[in-house]
Amino acid sequence: MPLIRRGPPEDSKAVPTEPLARLRAGDAEERWAAARALAGHEEAVDALAQALHAEGDRGVREAIFTSLAQTAGPASARAIVRCLRSDDAALRTAALDTLRVMPAALATYLPGLLADADADVRVLACDLARHLPAEISTPMLNARLGHEPEPNVCAAAVDVLAEQGDSESLAALDACGARFAGSAFLSFAIRVARQRIGAKASEPRG
Amino acid sequence: MADADAISEEELRRLGDFLYRRTGMVFTESKRYYVQRRVNDRMAATGATSFASYFARLRSDFGGEVEQFINAFTVNETYFYREDHQLRSLTSDMLAERLETRAGPHPIRIWSVPCSTGEEPYSIAMWLLENWPPVDVHDIEIVGSDIDTRAIEAAEVGVFSKRQLMRLSPQLIAKYFVALDAERWRILDDIRGSVRFTPVNLIDPAETRPHGRFDVIFCRNVLIYFDDAARRIAAENLYENLAPGGFICLGHTESMSRISPLFEVRRFADAIVYQRPAQAYG
Repeated sequence: MPLIRRGPPEDSKAVPTEPLARLRAGDAEERWAAARALAGHEEAVDALAQALHAEGDRGVREAIFTSLAQTAGPASARAIVRCLRSDDAALRTAALDTLRVMPAALATYLPGLLADADADVRVLACDLARHLPAEISTPMLNARLGHEPEPNVCAAAVDVLAEQGDSESLAALDACGARFAGSAFLSFAIRVARQRIGAKASEPRG
Repeated sequence: MADADAISEEELRRLGDFLYRRTGMVFTESKRYYVQRRVNDRMAATGATSFASYFARLRSDFGGEVEQFINAFTVNETYFYREDHQLRSLTSDMLAERLETRAGPHPIRIWSVPCSTGEEPYSIAMWLLENWPPVDVHDIEIVGSDIDTRAIEAAEVGVFSKRQLMRLSPQLIAKYFVALDAERWRILDDIRGSVRFTPVNLIDPAETRPHGRFDVIFCRNVLIYFDDAARRIAAENLYENLAPGGFICLGHTESMSRISPLFEVRRFADAIVYQRPAQAYG
């Protein structure tokens, strides 16, 4: 039979010995290997964060994000959060995907993101809230919705609360509805959210 | 088991953390029964009289307990020609494309990970011999890898039950197996010799990287046991282990698109698979 038994193959491309130096040099494969070699190294967070903004290869960028996520400290979380303000939509999306796999860091940073001066960041923060346990994120969203001035942010928060809101959310939804009484979409979304929260509250426990 | 023997919530959390750090598999309160049964088994096997003494043994890896513990937690439930639409796609589309696009006269490399007790890599070997005429003119290397070393030992022995052969025709069983008794069959030595088995932890690049690059990887029904963070790491390890333009097949409930943007979706007539782009993204 032609199928063959072979010895172990030679090691694939070795991890660079100086990953910090290689992170911004060489071809994409070397930068990829460098980014992965730095996973979990707190002292490499600044270099990874800088490389993130300069990196043009989507694959290498992904590896940098994963390495920052594996480091999981406050510095790496800050570096990822900064990307939410980028003009580069792909970078923002990758940052969102990464924060979703860092629930502890996300729980820490979410209040600040929900109160950010930039409404676009607040919209993204509402979506991130969906990925935390409801007992953590729902009170934050309730508080935000109570006085959020931007209708798009309200719509994002209402959408999440429709899934995970509780009886405490009803007052925040009503307050939002009163502020934006002229918005047909928000009125509709709030009505749906109220119905879902009401239906959930009446479900038998078990 | 008596309530007095049940592990506490905190003990379950510590055990879950331990297992997660080493394997990427997530076991929380919702899987208490599954965890408790396996802890009981390992405590009985090691003679531990309390969870605390067992956990101390585990953390110090006394007597190789970490490996035994991980082995106890893996699922080795599979059979020959499982999800054979992907095997059809292998021989009708993927291999032809690999032969067209790859450079040099290297062997075609196929990785079955996790391979459990060998059903999948042996199925690949049999399928190629049965359904891919070019098999006669190409060197093909099939590697089967799993984190469970007991499963690998069983795969190397190559003895299977009726249940594991249920999808095979009597003709295929007669052609590729030797009956040991009414309930057990051993796969032919030629097929056994065509698959190399290795241990591997999919979330540890130090273990995946030495396996080199493959043309096709079968990685089915394992990522579902990982959490999002571990899935990302596993996906990047698998990406490294694919040759540019190489393919990866996941289980039918799994989607690489929800895990990592590194791969492109390829829709073939028989299966949807994922592909490492032939070029860097740039």
